Amino acid sequence: MTEQKSAAVDTAEVKRMLDKHKAKMKMSLSLCAHCSLCAESCFLFNARNKDPKYMPSYKFINSIGKIYKKKGKVDKAMLEEISVNAWKRCVLCTRCYCPFGIDIPDMIALARSICRSQGVFPQYDE
Amino acid sequence: MHCCETGNALTMVAHMELSNLFTADFIYNLARGPLVWISILICIIGSIARTVQLLSYTRIKTIDPNIDFSSIRKKPPAAKGGGLPEPGLFAVLKGTILGVSPVTILVSLCFHICLIIIPFFLLAHNLLIDDAIGFSLFSFSERFSDFLTIIFLACAAFFLFRRIFLARMRAISTFYDYVVLFITVAPFLTGFLAYYQIFNYKIVIILHMLAGELMLVAIPFTKIFHMFFFFIGRFMIVNQHTMGKGSRTW
Ligand code: HEM
Ligand code: SF4
Ligand code: SF4
Repeated sequence: MTEQKSAAVDTAEVKRMLDKHKAKMKMSLSLCAHCSLCAESCFLFNARNKDPKYMPSYKFINSIGKIYKKKGKVDKAMLEEISVNAWKRCVLCTRCYCPFGIDIPDMIALARSICRSQGVFPQYDE
Repeated sequence: MHCCETGNALTMVAHMELSNLFTADFIYNLARGPLVWISILICIIGSIARTVQLLSYTRIKTIDPNIDFSSIRKKPPAAKGGGLPEPGLFAVLKGTILGVSPVTILVSLCFHICLIIIPFFLLAHNLLIDDAIGFSLFSFSERFSDFLTIIFLACAAFFLFRRIFLARMRAISTFYDYVVLFITVAPFLTGFLAYYQIFNYKIVIILHMLAGELMLVAIPFTKIFHMFFFFIGRFMIVNQHTMGKGSRTW
């Protein structure tokens, strides 16, 4: 696992995973009104003193949104950063509410899959 | 806006000397003639194309006939209150975004209602539309339109301040969000200034027409497309919060 972790990011693979989910991801990212109405629907946001970093839209914009913006050309450090948003700040409880029906958990889950495919995921045995 | 005026503007282009090309008169005629029709066309065709594109990304939901839903279907999903005791109306409201952020939602409602009804029922617009196509909708009194415009501008100011001063808004705001808000507000602001003849009327009315045309063109191609996505995303595509049954999946 440590071996995997130090390896470089396979950007072609990341790009392939992005492309596979492109339609829904692109629509969600480009049509999010950046209105913050989803904030209070996340119990973690409420439990963390309404820290904006726990807002559902912040988490999907700063995980899958970042990877998409870079067109998959991300490095390990970036994925490590993204994994904080995708794992530590979200439990994928699927309770977030967006007035447009943007499927935020699915976006975060996709960011997780991409991180995991590159060997970036939380390890509790370190 | 009359079709022969469109023609006039076009012949004007042909006969203009290059140095005169960007005089105020020229831009005025361009903005009140061909650009109106072009932007309306782009708005309609663009919106249809993007709606078709969005629908093509989704497909009709298929249900495996072998699965027995009878035990699941008895109760609404948890998100719609299933499993909880019958809540009162007030308790239901408290859980919605109207209950959580009442001010923002009410402001948003006013903002969007004004946004849509002002241009369609404005006397000055309807006179021009009548001129161009021979009929028009009824018009509000000028005082009422004025009143709605002030409400609209106040709501827009609320959105702007919210974006500037709330930490959670700043966390996700980009320059683009301000641009879209500006594109939305500009036609109303310039229209208001033109009506009261504040600043140079001719310049303001040119800006007003250009701003309106910019907004029309922006509808299909920016996040303003949410006006269609809202109905598709909430009523047609199944998700946790679909209203109604939903018939499509991604
Ligand atoms: C009937 C169609 C529409 C629906 C259902 C709708 C719905 C919404 C919703 C739910 C929001 C997020 C909540 C908020 O911040 O207020 C929003 C925001 C917004 N809408 Fe609409 N909308 C519609 C049409 C339009 C149109 C036609 C425009 C512009 C031409 C527009 C411009 C905006 C803007 C600029 C925002 C962001 C406000 C901000 O900066 O916070 N909307 N809309
Ligand atoms: S995800 Fe939905 S509720 Fe959250 S900021 Fe984007 S549009 Fe608003
Ligand atoms: S899925 Fe994640 S973002 Fe959505 S409510 Fe649950 S913890 Fe919050």
